[in-house]
Amino acid sequence: QDLAKLSAYRDRRFPGNQEEYERALQTSTTVYVGNMSFYTTEEQMYELFSRAGEIKKIIMGLDKNSKTPCGFCFVLYYSREDTEDAVKYISGTMLDDRPIRVDFDWGFEEGRQWGRGRSGGQVRDEYRTDYDQRRGGYGKLVQRELESQRELVDYGAGALSAFQPPMPYGRHGGDYGHGGSHRHGRDYRKRNREDEHSASEMSRRTSGYESRRSSDHDSRPEKNPRFRESGDSDDEDDDDQKRRR
Amino acid sequence: MSDLLNAHLTSPFVAQFIGELLPALETPSRSPQRSSPVPSVSVLHSLGSLLCAPNRSPPSSPLRSLGSMSSWRTLLLRVGDKCPEYGGAVDHKEHIETCYGVLWREFEHSKDEISECAEQLPHKIPFYGVLVGLINLEDEDFGKNIVDDLHCKLQEALSSENCDKIRILLRFLTVLMCSKVILPSSVIEVFETLLSSAATIIDEDAGNPSWQPCADFYITCILSCLPWGGTELIEQVPDEFDRVIVGIQSYLSIRKHSQDTSFIVFEADEDKSAKEKDFVEDLWDHIQILSTNGWKVDSVPRPHLSFEEQLVSGKSYNLSPISCPKQSASSSRSTISRERENYEAKLKYPQRLCRLHIFPSNKIEKMQPIDRFIVEEYLLDVLLFFNGCRKECASYMASLPVPFRYEYLMAETIFSQIMFLPQPPFKPIYYALVIIDLCKALPGAFPAVVAGAVRSLFNRIGDLDMECRTRLILWFSHHLSNFQYFWPWEEWAHVKDLPRWAPQRVFVQEVLEREVRLSYWDKIKQSIENAPELEELLPPKSVSNFRYNSEEDHGYTLSKEFREMVRGRKTAREITSWVEETIIQIHSSKFAIEVVIQTLLDIGSKSFTHLITVLERYGQVIAKLCTDQNMQVLLIDEVSSYWKNNTQMTAIAIDRMMGYRIISNLAIVSWVFSLSNIEQFHVSDRPWEILRNAINKTYNRIADLRKEIQTLKKSVLLAEDVAVKALKEFEAAETRLEVVDGQPVQAEKPGRLKRLKGYAEKAKDDEIAVREALEAKDALLARALEENKSLFVSLYKSFANVLTERLPPVSADGAFPKLRDEEDIDSMAIDLEEPSTMEMDHDNGRKDDRNSEKVTHRYSIKEQDQWCLCTLGYVKAFSRQYATEIWPHLETLEAVFGRDIHPLFRKAVFAGLCRSTTEM
Repeated sequence: QDLAKLSAYRDRRFPGNQEEYERALQTSTTVYVGNMSFYTTEEQMYELFSRAGEIKKIIMGLDKNSKTPCGFCFVLYYSREDTEDAVKYISGTMLDDRPIRVDFDWGFEEGRQWGRGRSGGQVRDEYRTDYDQRRGGYGKLVQRELESQRELVDYGAGALSAFQPPMPYGRHGGDYGHGGSHRHGRDYRKRNREDEHSASEMSRRTSGYESRRSSDHDSRPEKNPRFRESGDSDDEDDDDQKRRR
Repeated sequence: MSDLLNAHLTSPFVAQFIGELLPALETPSRSPQRSSPVPSVSVLHSLGSLLCAPNRSPPSSPLRSLGSMSSWRTLLLRVGDKCPEYGGAVDHKEHIETCYGVLWREFEHSKDEISECAEQLPHKIPFYGVLVGLINLEDEDFGKNIVDDLHCKLQEALSSENCDKIRILLRFLTVLMCSKVILPSSVIEVFETLLSSAATIIDEDAGNPSWQPCADFYITCILSCLPWGGTELIEQVPDEFDRVIVGIQSYLSIRKHSQDTSFIVFEADEDKSAKEKDFVEDLWDHIQILSTNGWKVDSVPRPHLSFEEQLVSGKSYNLSPISCPKQSASSSRSTISRERENYEAKLKYPQRLCRLHIFPSNKIEKMQPIDRFIVEEYLLDVLLFFNGCRKECASYMASLPVPFRYEYLMAETIFSQIMFLPQPPFKPIYYALVIIDLCKALPGAFPAVVAGAVRSLFNRIGDLDMECRTRLILWFSHHLSNFQYFWPWEEWAHVKDLPRWAPQRVFVQEVLEREVRLSYWDKIKQSIENAPELEELLPPKSVSNFRYNSEEDHGYTLSKEFREMVRGRKTAREITSWVEETIIQIHSSKFAIEVVIQTLLDIGSKSFTHLITVLERYGQVIAKLCTDQNMQVLLIDEVSSYWKNNTQMTAIAIDRMMGYRIISNLAIVSWVFSLSNIEQFHVSDRPWEILRNAINKTYNRIADLRKEIQTLKKSVLLAEDVAVKALKEFEAAETRLEVVDGQPVQAEKPGRLKRLKGYAEKAKDDEIAVREALEAKDALLARALEENKSLFVSLYKSFANVLTERLPPVSADGAFPKLRDEEDIDSMAIDLEEPSTMEMDHDNGRKDDRNSEKVTHRYSIKEQDQWCLCTLGYVKAFSRQYATEIWPHLETLEAVFGRDIHPLFRKAVFAGLCRSTTEM
């Protein structure tokens, strides 16, 4: 099949070889959405992405520390066809006046909703030098300026504090009824890791990485988590180079 | 590192890039969204990466690494385009010579590529035809192979009823005749086969007139070929050609005028359609004019003329005879089954284009009617084959090889696709993307044309089909979201003074609603700064409407207690019994619904995900509380009240609850047809959106089940096969004997036998498992279909009830009441004639012409009439969209309607289902 069509990213966390990665992308009903404004809400995503088909779930990428959106998102569809249409028709169009990027994703797993940057957000915002008001100003150098009109959705506080955003863990297929166990509560990270141990080989490998990572993720420079083929609108390639120098 | 990965990603692609150029055209379609085959687009992807590779991956662009080995492929793909590969040359002859110069050395390998280019870049077929002709001079086998190949593909396409492929292959056939690769008599033969098949189909005795759409399609195909080869045919085989023309003429005299009010975009045109020429008649007229003009067409390049001297010495081949599939004869069944067959034929052989006349005739580019037809074909083909390749799609749309401008025609064509009924070939969002890209590709010309189209459609909005109105609202809001929400709203500020139900006012209000959803309230408020009057039409600033805000509110304490339980992560079961004991037994179930729904929605109000979390954890609490339809209607009422300021969240919450089977689709229908909603029918999309979602979700379930069953059926066959083979192998091994010491003993080792037996048993088990899975799905589908049937029965009953109460009575002479003001339609016509000085230009400052004031925005339809028009419009739209699901239940539904059904309601249903209205 045509690789150029699949994804320019190669997620280094993917626990398989290139072939498996491509296969995952070809059958996936998940898209990764990038270059979003931090202020973009799930409802905005819903309005735009439901024009490509019925949406199953939306998982906002969150800042590890602040539990607020940090500029990326996963959208899960029911059908593969709708997923392809989302990539074909929405990628590169504007949402909140930003050209968003939509790529096939190999599938959401617990843990992937967190930004992988050192300070909690996305890596690209660590090294960004330009001013981007809708992504928290100058990277993390400047305190995030809240727009007067909009507030960041706080996923960690309020009446739902007992809830973490639900993870569609182990739910696949077009199920409409009840099902799926959902991990809630403050200790869910730990519990999930336990789940991963008992899960497939795929998750076992992740979990190994996870535990190593979570123990020292603050002291160790983060690897660039995503490979990007072209640096058209983003800056991760530059990041990579900077770090190597 | 990144370069390395880069190379890894791109290199296999480069290697295969032409090798896998083109799989077959057809892809099975799943949803009603796809009424036409979706081609695989690999040629275009190859082309796509050729064209845009430099942006995509600077270090190792495929283009640069192609080298001379592959450059003939590039040249082949780009022949006829103004592009760097040809040094920017525009002379077609030069292109063909250059391309041929590299191609003839490779011709052994290039046969498939040429055919495939012709099939996926059909507007360049004349160039590919000449290239084949030239290579044919070098190697006669080459031409023969191409012709044989074409024959196979054409026969295949006819048998599989692949309309796009048939149409394009016939054009290629005609062009190959021009390049002396195919004998003119062969072309005539193909035409005559199609013609005689068409004539048979519409013959009452020999054929089946229900299949006229197929016959019409064949005739359209023949006519469509003539601009490419009419001249040559009349020169070389004049008598035979005349025979074909006479045949077509007699076909046209026998066939029935096709007048589908179902697919008409502007409702006021309904009556006109009976008098106006239909698509086939229209094309026939154009071709006749063309023949009197000496077959001169500006829009068809004729490169073979420059090579005539060489080509004439080529060897031409015969195309083996083809045959058209026989459509099953009608066995004089009921009217309903014949009409249903006709409906299916229409879906299988759809009319490719329903022209949308948006612009006044003085504005649209002057061109011969046949040129218009050809440009439309080009545009539709680019849209078809370049779906998913943004840059190439826009660049081919914008630079067709025609010597005149066509921006207005292009806009009309794209809008005709957005509005195409019953379903556009692709999702409407695709066309939104194309328009965005064209606005960027032609910044000086296209945005103004699009704006003009919007104004014109806005002026006639009251006349537009309801489904098309919704599509227009969705498109327009999305379009504006890509251009900073800029629009000269002051032009439309006057709608504020129209009655709440005036279609123009509702349109503006719904566009604003969708804009707010795509963005946020303050931003959209800012965007209408130049028309502050319109602020009144903005949706309320979205805040939830929680019932228990102060301690005085009845329920405040209970709600608080409930919230604490949720925070304490009590289980659904614990909460259910708490609700039972503390609320239901003391107060009432109704009050319990109020407290539970208000509180849960409030907990989940932060985002879509929060809502889902709450429903997944405590959906059971709600489900236990609302077991019957009446309770579920109360539940929906409560949702609607909590989110009364946010239609999107209302719709999402209801949709999710249906997804978790907390509420049934029947409850939703019943709620939508409750009095407070009925009163909204003509002033808001809110109830309709919720109804659309419910029907759509029901339909999606069925579509998914059907797809799964398809897959399972294949797996069963596969599993059967495996099981039989495994068993055979085991039996063969078991019976294999050898003689040891004069005694026959088994030749196989017991271990192997045991293993084989195990395999056989396992295979059998697998087979049984798949069979059981299939049975289970079949049962689910049967249930879903049953649910679907009751859904439509309930929907039509509800429509019948509300309409019967409100439609004006039929007058004594039996004439239908008129809802639409005839004068109003006339004033629309005046609007159209208005020389469009209101055009605006994004670039050169705005020509703010106040002329629009002159266009009288008379609106005189009474509220009740508008309500009826709107509701009838939805009856038609729902019937049309789900016609394939409704047809099987038609007899049941007829009973629902009964004898004294209002004729206007009946007309709307019939129109939606494409039933002939003559017997009414």
